[in-house]
Amino acid sequence: MTTLRWTGEQVASVAERLVPGSVSRYDSVACYLKPEKLVQTMEALRTDAETDFVQLTSLCGVDFWDHFEVVYHLQSFVKNQFATVKTEAWDRENTSVPSVVPVWFGAWMQECEAYDLLGIRFEGHPNLHRIFLWEGYPGWPLRKDFLSMPGGLMPGLQEFSGIARRVPPPVKVVE
Amino acid sequence: MSSGGIKTEPFILNIGPQHPSTHGVFRVKATVDGERVIDAEMVMGYLHRSMEKLAEERTYTQNIPFTDRTDYLSSMSNNLGYCLAVERLAGVDVPARGNAIRVIMAEFQRLASHSMAIGTFVNDTGAWQTPVMWSLREREYILDLFEMTSGARLTCNYMRIGGVSFDLPKEFEPAARKVLARLKPYLDEMEGMLTENEIFIVRTRNVGVLPQELAINSSASGPMLRGSGVAWDIRKAEPYCGYEKYDFEIPIGYQGDSFDRFLVRLEEMRQSVKIIEQALDGLPGGPHSTQVPLAIRPPKGEVYGRVESPRGELGYYLVSDEGPSPYRFHIRPPALINLSALKAMTVGGTIADAIVVLGSIDIVLGEVDR
Repeated sequence: MTTLRWTGEQVASVAERLVPGSVSRYDSVACYLKPEKLVQTMEALRTDAETDFVQLTSLCGVDFWDHFEVVYHLQSFVKNQFATVKTEAWDRENTSVPSVVPVWFGAWMQECEAYDLLGIRFEGHPNLHRIFLWEGYPGWPLRKDFLSMPGGLMPGLQEFSGIARRVPPPVKVVE
Repeated sequence: MSSGGIKTEPFILNIGPQHPSTHGVFRVKATVDGERVIDAEMVMGYLHRSMEKLAEERTYTQNIPFTDRTDYLSSMSNNLGYCLAVERLAGVDVPARGNAIRVIMAEFQRLASHSMAIGTFVNDTGAWQTPVMWSLREREYILDLFEMTSGARLTCNYMRIGGVSFDLPKEFEPAARKVLARLKPYLDEMEGMLTENEIFIVRTRNVGVLPQELAINSSASGPMLRGSGVAWDIRKAEPYCGYEKYDFEIPIGYQGDSFDRFLVRLEEMRQSVKIIEQALDGLPGGPHSTQVPLAIRPPKGEVYGRVESPRGELGYYLVSDEGPSPYRFHIRPPALINLSALKAMTVGGTIADAIVVLGSIDIVLGEVDR
């Protein structure tokens, strides 16, 4: 017997049933939730008897140049199942998504970590602060444009123009 | 505030960052009222080396040594978790012998790590020197086995994508059996010395109680979760490397206190000995690794691969953009996440209990800070 890893479609159908209008889209791996309904849907996924996702295993953010994804991995012990849920943040200057600390206490440290390294604000987090770096550290290290941030350069690295190997894709207009 | 008519006021006691009982560079700002801890704030990041950023600039194979350095007390398990995640992403199969060797190494690593954890934990309770020396002595024999196989004792860098880097030398099996024969009396000895030791029980029973609900809600894993009575082990729940073939049990505790976590670790060591014996008995022949290109380019996608490391669920979340290096490399560090409940476990106890709780979590700061 092995863990049942839910597809994005399965999660989306259950989430849509629990909280109508909460799903923005889904793919083969993950279900994308709308940020405004995130906390409500997560609470429903945690308490519902069919999903029973009692534990938030892992939380992390990913920078995709034009938007950020926050990835939540949920698991149920009794049903031995696993799901990937994501939410997106499109504002690069004031990146923010709702905090899921009210649902899972275990998100506390991981949200601080994502804030520290990626600059994603988790609205409603009781004590959001930089846990590894110090307050006032310039820039957000795990962002892909970190090396071109003002003050975010390591001394001497400016001279190596090819150091940021990944160049941003052409700007996409989001409706 | 007052206690017994005497007016007292809280003050902040700084534990760490360089203090033997923090097991590395970790700082707890404890607000204490007399001897009682009323608040505990964690300060970390002294060992932050930005592994996740570095890994985005290196190929998948070049990242394997980084995983050694995250959790330097269980490098084999870290190698294994990363390689499994990449294999899952790229669709690489591992030959049967490679899998068996991986299981042997991961279980020896669990024995080494747990014996270190128990030794330092008992040291923290005040049993100065003797148990930690016994533990380190046994761990040395296991590290000798690693040196024999991979050439390194701590940062082994042994697993590869598609298998392991070298086949076992022919001296390995007799040497491994000799170590296992040593370990059994050692475990009995530790159990005889500690589990019925009145001082040890007084120092650890009902200290740092982690209720089951909080353990689940605070994302605890590994011995922390099992000590609180949740029979959850990735090796059973989502078997990898052929763990479903081996006969072993998941020990659990009932009260979720420091003593239960100690017992769980001790019993897990016995189970690990059992697994290694089975793996050595049925060690298949054949190749130890599949041929995988050094600059492997997994297809576009993402994966969350996980293993049961000695500290808990070790996850690797990788995003690939078909490039030679991962687009995003995230480690789910069990030690950092197990620390979430530290405040809940220490507040209300004494300062001496806070040290015991910290020891029972078994943190490795390389993994907490990465």
